[in-house]
Amino acid sequence: MATTTATITLASADIADNSFSVSNTSTLYTAGTNTGITETTGLGRKKVASASNVVLLGATTAEGIAQDVTPDKSAKVYIKNMNLRGDGTKFVTVLLLTREIGRLYGGDWMFFPWNATDGKDIEITPYDATETTLEYTIFYE
Amino acid sequence: MATTTATLTLSSADLLSDNLSLSASMNLYKGGTTDTGLEQMNYHRLVLPTGTVFDLIAESDALKDNSNYVYIINKNTDVTDYVLIDINDNEIGRLYAGDWLFMPWSCDLSASATDSSIEAEAVGHETIIEYALFHVGETLPTAGD
Repeated sequence: MATTTATITLASADIADNSFSVSNTSTLYTAGTNTGITETTGLGRKKVASASNVVLLGATTAEGIAQDVTPDKSAKVYIKNMNLRGDGTKFVTVLLLTREIGRLYGGDWMFFPWNATDGKDIEITPYDATETTLEYTIFYE
Repeated sequence: MATTTATLTLSSADLLSDNLSLSASMNLYKGGTTDTGLEQMNYHRLVLPTGTVFDLIAESDALKDNSNYVYIINKNTDVTDYVLIDINDNEIGRLYAGDWLFMPWSCDLSASATDSSIEAEAVGHETIIEYALFHVGETLPTAGD
């Protein structure tokens, strides 16, 4: 087995009257075990120059980089909008099929578990047709 | 404004044929701004009983149409315990013991939208959850009794 860790640190010196800092490290295990996840898509990069909806990671589709992700198990997804923030008005909307999760502005990232059941694609909708570059990876079983 | 940073490090010495090391850092800004930081935060620790889907972070007028960022961690230690994280019954994924997530969240109150609250359900055993919501700010709308 492999040992892969994901560490997050949230820190602010001025969001409250005292400094705030939280840090946690998660080891990426297969579902319900202490066995490390051994599969990954590796780090990928995709450019989109359209304001239309795009499937970034298709769930259990016959083709595509996420086809081997087992539903109802343990999978983790990382996505980062590599664009510069600019004036802060442009973002990529991240959806679970048609359900909007949130907006990644330039420079923003997200890391979340994914149940890749049939049809629950991870999709993106850029704010406009300006070229947007995303990086992503999946750790899965 | 406040300055809050979120930093991620992914690392492994043996998942691939060479070391994996990825780091990403971001400041939590208000939507539509160049560099104005989010000014408010809610931080909670609670116990989720099993068998019920709860609104962990409920949509509200104060949170709509701007930048919100959510952090959730499952603090249980039994590896079989997990929490389902949903939005309106759309399961995003499962947080097993020790797992965390960090993601943006759109609080959508438009007439055409269904409930955008973030829901959680403990499976296996009751689960201790900690979560943080970083948001643009809320003002209490109603006077007390």
